[in-house]
Amino acid sequence: MIRTFRAELVKLRRRRVLVLAAIATVLFSIGTAAVVLASAEPAANRPGFGQGTTIEALSAADGGTEVFTTGTSFAGTFVFVVFVGAIAVEFSRGTVRTMLLRQPRRGALLAGKLASLFAFAAVVLAVAEALTWIAATLLAPTQDIPTGEWRSLAAIGHALADYATVLFWVGGYALLGLTVAVLTRSVPVALAIGIAWAGPFEHLIQDGWNTATRVFPGLLLEAFIAGGTSDVSALRAFGTVAAYMLVAAAVAATTFVRRDVTA
Amino acid sequence: MTTTSGVTPATGVAKRAVEVNGLTKRFGSRTAVDGLSFALPIGVVAGFIGPNGAGKTTTMGMLLGLVAPTSGTGTVLGHPLGEPSTYLGRVGALIESPAFWPSLTGAENLQLLATLSGHDSGEIPGVLDLVGLAERATDRFGSYSFGMKQRLGVAAALLGDPALLILDEPTNGLDPAGISDMRRLIASVTRDDRTVLVSSHILSELEQVCDWLIVIDEGSLLYQGPADGYLAQAGTVVVVAAEHRADMDRLATLARAEGLDAVIDGDEIVLPVELETGDPRALAVTLNRIAFEDGIILAELRVRRPTLESHYLATVEGDHR
Repeated sequence: MIRTFRAELVKLRRRRVLVLAAIATVLFSIGTAAVVLASAEPAANRPGFGQGTTIEALSAADGGTEVFTTGTSFAGTFVFVVFVGAIAVEFSRGTVRTMLLRQPRRGALLAGKLASLFAFAAVVLAVAEALTWIAATLLAPTQDIPTGEWRSLAAIGHALADYATVLFWVGGYALLGLTVAVLTRSVPVALAIGIAWAGPFEHLIQDGWNTATRVFPGLLLEAFIAGGTSDVSALRAFGTVAAYMLVAAAVAATTFVRRDVTA
Repeated sequence: MTTTSGVTPATGVAKRAVEVNGLTKRFGSRTAVDGLSFALPIGVVAGFIGPNGAGKTTTMGMLLGLVAPTSGTGTVLGHPLGEPSTYLGRVGALIESPAFWPSLTGAENLQLLATLSGHDSGEIPGVLDLVGLAERATDRFGSYSFGMKQRLGVAAALLGDPALLILDEPTNGLDPAGISDMRRLIASVTRDDRTVLVSSHILSELEQVCDWLIVIDEGSLLYQGPADGYLAQAGTVVVVAAEHRADMDRLATLARAEGLDAVIDGDEIVLPVELETGDPRALAVTLNRIAFEDGIILAELRVRRPTLESHYLATVEGDHR
């Protein structure tokens, strides 16, 4: 697994990848801070639970990093696409065969690949959180949002907790993406299934069936990163998503280990 | 003494690079490989030949741990077929088309694979030089020509100084110059302690580098053994033709009168040489003498030896009858 992890870094450490990731992170951070701060309204205007970020919430100690979690919560499809693409392309391009000739321990190969992508995502997220905080700090005065609490000791604790939340949320999409990619072995098919399911399909069903929020993985991940909704608490969403992640990992690993590689 | 696994017990060293017994692979109702058994001695360059769909790639896939056999047993470098992690570190392979990461350079692709297998990345310049890609090492794989991609595939297979090299159709899609380059490359990587198993449809090229043959059709073995032995199964013939068509019957009659088995085949007379004892040169001399003594002028007199392709086609067609 360690060798696979290091091998994947050969791809991820290239200057082109790092520059692209850096540009995307900077744009995301600035864009997120600008949009979230601009859309924040006084709490009096947002009476419902989970109806968007309020100026009062942003003024608290966790306000600086709430900008980050709120902005990230809209990037679920993007995270899913990245992981599906990174895994499924190895099948469609035939490079999974090339890798298996060098690392026949299939479970280790899959785990190492996922771990390296996840580690890369973790670094990008850490940088994004810091940049988003800086951008938000600079932009907050334009919305009359006080940022004094953002530099408190409590803010650091909130920042770490928010980072862990986002990391878990990314892990959920990563494992679901991995599983769909391993099962379909095709980038377009995996993306079509994944996006259609987690996007319109889950939300359409949710409109007619409230329980969907407590059952479907995409909706649960949305609820989790939003800190819970009126239908499902963050803790319950966390537990259910964790169970889904275990099942997804088991299905992906079993399929990958047992299936013939003929293309 | 050698065990059925091809391993000498006292030393634990494999005497056979590959040995399979009753290897079978079914995909649903289709049987791709049907009870295949063969052994590959260490140090040979073995040609693995058979028509499209004969089961060559599936067999190679089973040897490399990519495809699980439905039944059958085997060893690769003395280790059980079902445990590829115990032997793949000493096996290099290019199976089907070369599959690499197009945005990585040739050197980066090899770096990734060397890291993955735990091999010394210091070997990379050497193998790139061996396959003639040293000057293009820093170019992206996506910019390579097909021939260069194939050569990078061979370079990847050579990482780790493998004891067994498995090359599946390495000349596929190459132009004549590329085919010739690949033949020279294969010849250059052979050595006494390295076994090479190579499949190809270009039998004339295979004939020049292989000293061992495994011939299969419809998933079953037709021949295994030295390449010379396979060709020896086919008869050499002497072909003779008279200048004037009218002399052909007379020449054939004269040859038969000498006890020769002469058959008129179109514009020529074909005389088979006895497999074990026949001397084609002596037979040609006899024919020339007969013709000369009877005033027949010969337009053609030659010895036609079997080629791998001609005998293979005869074998496969015979098998299908």
